[in-house]
Amino acid sequence: MMESVKRIVRISIPLILICIVSGATLTVSNDLTKERIAGVEQRKVNESLSMIFPGASFNKTGDYYTALMNGEEIGYAFIAQGKGYSGTIKTMVGMYQNGTIDGIYVISQLETPGLGTRIAEPDFTNQFSGKRIEDIRLRQDGGLIDSITGATISSRAITEIVRTRAEVVVNETR
Amino acid sequence: MKLDELTKGLFKYNPIFYLLLGLCPLLAVSTRVDNALGMSLAVLFVLVGSNVIISLLRQWIPPEVRIPCFIVVIASFVTIVDLFMYGYAPDLHERLGIYVPLIVVNCIILGRAEAFASKKSVSHSLLDGIGMGIGFMLGIVAIASVREVLSTGAMTIFGYTVIPGLTQTPAMVMLLPPGAFFTIAIIMALINYTTIRRARRR
Amino acid sequence: MDNLLAIAVGAIFVNNFVLFRFLGLCPFFGVSKKTSSALGMGFAVIFVMTCASAITWPIYTYLLIPFEIEFMRTVTFILVIATFVQLIEMVIRKYRSSLYKALGIYLPLITTNCAVMGVALLNVEEGYSLIGSVVDGFSAGIGFTLALLLMSGIRERLELADVPKSFENLPIAFISAALLALAFMAFSGMRL
Repeated sequence: MMESVKRIVRISIPLILICIVSGATLTVSNDLTKERIAGVEQRKVNESLSMIFPGASFNKTGDYYTALMNGEEIGYAFIAQGKGYSGTIKTMVGMYQNGTIDGIYVISQLETPGLGTRIAEPDFTNQFSGKRIEDIRLRQDGGLIDSITGATISSRAITEIVRTRAEVVVNETR
Repeated sequence: MKLDELTKGLFKYNPIFYLLLGLCPLLAVSTRVDNALGMSLAVLFVLVGSNVIISLLRQWIPPEVRIPCFIVVIASFVTIVDLFMYGYAPDLHERLGIYVPLIVVNCIILGRAEAFASKKSVSHSLLDGIGMGIGFMLGIVAIASVREVLSTGAMTIFGYTVIPGLTQTPAMVMLLPPGAFFTIAIIMALINYTTIRRARRR
Repeated sequence: MDNLLAIAVGAIFVNNFVLFRFLGLCPFFGVSKKTSSALGMGFAVIFVMTCASAITWPIYTYLLIPFEIEFMRTVTFILVIATFVQLIEMVIRKYRSSLYKALGIYLPLITTNCAVMGVALLNVEEGYSLIGSVVDGFSAGIGFTLALLLMSGIRERLELADVPKSFENLPIAFISAALLALAFMAFSGMRL
């Protein structure tokens, strides 16, 4: 009995010590990088906000931002995200108060390089500007957005993501 | 003599083509040379770090729990890479995705810990780690170069254009999973071919 | 609530672990020479992936998140999976020797199988519920087994085929995998 207890202690102490050292090291690394990581995320959001409404200031209300120009409300900006072809697509959407889309800016996506990634390029995203929410559908689905050749899935995914979220925000702001 | 530990990982016992280890990240992140370089630097760091630490602790780790001990050491290094990459190279971190934490199950690293670092001195293990890490880098960058050039008709490394656009209609399939399998099959067949030729000549 | 059917079809066909995500490739090429051993490996992986999903989810949700130590997930997950696999091995060796004979030799290989670790990480990343995670783990295992079985069938035939000398064994296996992956791409974009 005594023997086996001794054996367990002898075996487990090194493992426990290694785990403690590992935990301590990682806590230090986490503290060292925590602010930077938070900054990375915030910077991406700020950058995309200024791409949507250049020169405006923003007030965060709930889960969307109200864009103010010279103290006057000009529209709303919100993050829409959902599943794309391979991974999550995260995009910033700008919308005027009357419910037309001002523009979209893809914050992050993991689509197929060279094909699906083109949803982030201006050639594609510019199509959203000035469209009414109900027209944010692919042309073959009865909307006004031309899909990218060879990347219909990614094109449809981002269109659906933007429209669904925009419909929610329109109801919230009304 | 010692230099052997360094160079054997490069060609003779290349972890990818000879030992066939670490295939998952190899195929998943070899779509672009950028990603391949980032990934292999991360692997190199983890490999060297864990080899050195495990070699230092080798007499002190009880054989019964050596695998859990190795795993904790490796996983700690992986997490350090993951956190710092997130903070300092966020774009790369995003493109590599879950393949960064998955370095922990990369067979090269546990394989070297078990077969080499747990038996040899610190300096040998350090050289072995560097050699194997660079060997992995050579393999993955080779595959990524083929795939990037064929699938986009160009090559851009960290914003610098190395090869300008060669064609308007590149072979998109090379970017997709099948292209990865094709590339590694052809490279392996080429290696076999030269080995067979050389053996015949002798 | 997660759409369980969508998770299952996604993990088996659309985002097949082996052919789309490149996870679990080492056993995919290592144990696919014979259909019988492929089946044994497949069952072992289904079992371990399902259990790993069921174990890592509560650990992440009730231990790592409340203490704000999500960054420890890599260390915790791999340690839990390794311990679990070893425990299972001991149990079935002691009580079910026939099962041990069938699955035993594959279990140690599973610890470093990236598919198991991969499913645990993906569950967290996708934010699935407990049930969603278990379904995801189970279906990912099925998807792995499906790919492994198809591959072993092909390789059994290849044994008899006249393959160029430099392509013998692994290179031709990779070519077959490429064609399989090409076929599985037909599933992409399937929505439920």
